[in-house]
Amino acid sequence: MFKLSIDGRIVDASPGANVLDVALANGIEIPHLCYHPELSVSGGCRLCLVEVEGRPEPTTACGLACAEGMEIRTQSEQLTAMRRAIIDLFVSDHPLDCVTCDKAGSCLLQKYAYEYGVTETSHEKIIARTLYQDDNPFFIRDHQYCILCGRCTRVCEEIVGASAIEIVGRGFESHVATPFDGPMIDSSCVFCGSCVQVCPTAALLPVSRLGKGREWEMDRVKSICGYCGVGCEIEYARKNGDIVYAQATPDGPVNGEFLCSKGRYGWDFVSHPDRLTHPLMRRDVAYELGLTDDPWELPTESPLAVENPQIEDSFVPVEWDTAYDLIAERLAHTVQNYGPDAVMGLSSARCTNEENYLFQKFMRAGIGTNNVDHCARL
Amino acid sequence: MQAFGSGAMTNSIHEMRDADCVFITGSNTAESHPVISYEVIRAARRGANVVIVDPRRIPLVEHATLFLQVKPGTDIYVFLAMMHTIIREGWADATFIAERTEGYDEFRAVVEEYTPERASLMSGVAVGDIEAAARIYALGERASGTSIYADAAPENGGRGHSTILYAMGITQRSNGTDLVMTLANLAMLNGQIGKLSTGVNPLRGQANVQGACDLGCLVNVFPGYQAVTDAEKRAALAAAWNVETLPGEVGLTVVEAMHAASEGKVRTVYVMGENPMMTDPNTNHVEKSLRGLDLLVVQDIFPSETAQLAHVILPAAASLEKDGSFTNTERRAQLLNPVVQAPGEAIPDWQITGEIAARFDAKMGIERESGYWYYNSSSEIFDELATVTPIYRGMSYARLAGEGLQWPCPDAEHPGTQYLHAGKFSRGRGKFNPVHANDPAEQPDDDYPLILTTGRVLYHYHSGTMTRRSGPLDWRDPGGYIEINPVDAASVDVQDDSGVVVESRRGRVLARTKISEHVPPGTVFLAFHWRESPANVLTQDFKLDPVAKIPEYKVCAVRVEKV
Ligand code: SF4
Ligand code: SF4
Ligand code: SF4
Ligand code: FES
Repeated sequence: MFKLSIDGRIVDASPGANVLDVALANGIEIPHLCYHPELSVSGGCRLCLVEVEGRPEPTTACGLACAEGMEIRTQSEQLTAMRRAIIDLFVSDHPLDCVTCDKAGSCLLQKYAYEYGVTETSHEKIIARTLYQDDNPFFIRDHQYCILCGRCTRVCEEIVGASAIEIVGRGFESHVATPFDGPMIDSSCVFCGSCVQVCPTAALLPVSRLGKGREWEMDRVKSICGYCGVGCEIEYARKNGDIVYAQATPDGPVNGEFLCSKGRYGWDFVSHPDRLTHPLMRRDVAYELGLTDDPWELPTESPLAVENPQIEDSFVPVEWDTAYDLIAERLAHTVQNYGPDAVMGLSSARCTNEENYLFQKFMRAGIGTNNVDHCARL
Repeated sequence: MQAFGSGAMTNSIHEMRDADCVFITGSNTAESHPVISYEVIRAARRGANVVIVDPRRIPLVEHATLFLQVKPGTDIYVFLAMMHTIIREGWADATFIAERTEGYDEFRAVVEEYTPERASLMSGVAVGDIEAAARIYALGERASGTSIYADAAPENGGRGHSTILYAMGITQRSNGTDLVMTLANLAMLNGQIGKLSTGVNPLRGQANVQGACDLGCLVNVFPGYQAVTDAEKRAALAAAWNVETLPGEVGLTVVEAMHAASEGKVRTVYVMGENPMMTDPNTNHVEKSLRGLDLLVVQDIFPSETAQLAHVILPAAASLEKDGSFTNTERRAQLLNPVVQAPGEAIPDWQITGEIAARFDAKMGIERESGYWYYNSSSEIFDELATVTPIYRGMSYARLAGEGLQWPCPDAEHPGTQYLHAGKFSRGRGKFNPVHANDPAEQPDDDYPLILTTGRVLYHYHSGTMTRRSGPLDWRDPGGYIEINPVDAASVDVQDDSGVVVESRRGRVLARTKISEHVPPGTVFLAFHWRESPANVLTQDFKLDPVAKIPEYKVCAVRVEKV
């Protein structure tokens, strides 16, 4: 650890840390587009320029290693002018349709254009990249919004290890591409959406949010992914109670900003029409209880052999009370006639701690058996 | 487990990026635990050696520095030979063995027999690769760069930090317990445990499989891994639950219960959120057993294949629709928040179970204090479970908010435990278990010449009830396929993406082929997510692991024919 000064504040830094990181960690904002704390430094956008005492030219903070006694200035007239010129150049090649853009409100280019008062470019407006790719149901790629910051290609290589995309071509031709600009599915992409997560603009957007509302109309709830045992924290953006998209945040204790395709995109099953919404009783049982007039027998064919099983064919909806009573009745019958060990309870690794606890308490303290298992083994 | 005295990841996920060597076996990390594979990739980029022992060329192999492609079921010879080499070359950590372990001499005598030459013959892996893996793991050698750990500096005779990751490719075997003990032996032999970025780390498959185990949904333990056979623990828990006695005999596992059901000994099965028709071995037998029950209750979010056979189906809320807590594979309990509303009359599982329990009491004429089964909130249940689960005792919802807490967390001031066995094993001294190699229960023969291994793919989860109802995920991977090596494909004369019948002694399924060098000749792979190609119709349930009672999903003999 050693000390340096940023805008007159004395801050601690450890060897190897860069000035941008240390400034951000101390709550000192320096605008930055290409830099991302989890990725290698690219130094491409030059927005993070700062002045260093004793150096004639401003230098990029993300590429500047901290040194003992360094004196850094993050704000000056010169820096403001330089940053404004950079943003001016970016917007010469970027549609300014923030009024309809889905990213408005969380776009970093918009944020800095606002902060530096850039309303339109002073250069000739040329949108060089026009490719629009919606070749998959996970995310779209709208190249006109791309600022070539390279965050997406770095995350894909450095974190995900997929190396599905890279920046190809020169000058106006350059863009982020899969091999031969083919559809994502033909690349090594694993649809984790990490590129979408780190993209500062609307160049990469989840399909689920397109036209579904503005950032400020959504509220956000964090929960834990229900799929694998990694336990990633996911933030769901909702509008009118429905999920619009899911993302991760840097403070996720396990996963930080990263997720896999299941966590980021696999939440739409909750509103699938197949969801069970009512207690159901099998038709033969319901008939025995006089709940339907039609006799029925369970088909001998395996449910696995039925192409598209319809639950209504074999079950009738009943009241909770009816369902509970039948269960209690038959459970009691089993225990009274065959003993508690004739009951088996199968709990679930998809249920909560509280539910698993209560379930085994019921089997042990209620029924009186240790026949309680779940598919830990499976 | 038997070796150190607890069954969970010893270390934390984010420590992996700083490891000097990551040793992965029986885990298709990139597909089953993708975000953990991101840690492995970070480690590799920082210069760690990544060593993989697996029958399949899994995606992470691209980032590995050494890949040992073993014939299915022969990995144990490789592990034993690695230890043989380590002892022979003097790479073992003598101080650690002397100070922290017991049973070394007996173990050493067993390992003596398992030479790399023998392992090579059995597994098909070159002797040189086995010895290299042994050295890299034992000494924690990096591929490049320097370790962040001071005790790793080679000039002071230090060793780098090596961590072992494994998953169901190890446990779902008829000798799974032996394999787990073998990996524990490997770690202890080199003192690669009880420090940051080391340890033995089983990756758990499902969101809350760790929590379900922790809270006692196992046949042999009460919450917090307290043995049901321990009279003192039993009495204490009976007092806490205000009952006279608790059952003291180990119960039936799922697979055993299915056998008991077919004999009429189990009459009622209550299933909360499981789908044994898809996930249990030997599906045809499972189905017969379930059909014969007096009562099958299934509580779920979708009409699963198992629900189709139930007498009563109860609609449950999904995890996105409720509060509660999950415990992840690194022992971290974290809070859920309801994100959307449950549809129709669906309600959280705890409310359903509580109501069933109360009504069962009424039918049985059992009286308890009112509210015994009725709770006002998940957090009220949590407060109760914390009092009877020593490793959770210091936790509460207030403390779980934010980052959660890693068990053991024995009191309200305890900060939780990032890695286990620092300085001392839970059971005192770590125990070397002398383990011999054991071959899989079912070997290929003339009738069934191929080995089938089952597992997961990236875009689907478990029996597929959720992911196959997710638009994007099902779009990416809409149907079941069987991976087959070009050599085997040629010998049964099938093309890529053509229909085949896969048949074992238990049954047959239809699938489409995916010709791939990822599986070696003689081995085929079929994931178990697909209801139209249900892999578990084929798997065997006659030989379970004798201790863990886990079926051998990873190895069974099949034949593949053109349709
Ligand atoms: S979705 Fe993931 S794998 Fe695909 S391009 Fe983006 S970062 Fe790479
Ligand atoms: S797509 Fe987004 S992240 Fe990628 S280079 Fe363009 S602006 Fe940057
Ligand atoms: S986001 Fe992916 S890696 Fe993370 S918990 Fe969910 S399924 Fe597992
Ligand atoms: S953020 Fe430093 S150069 Fe882009």
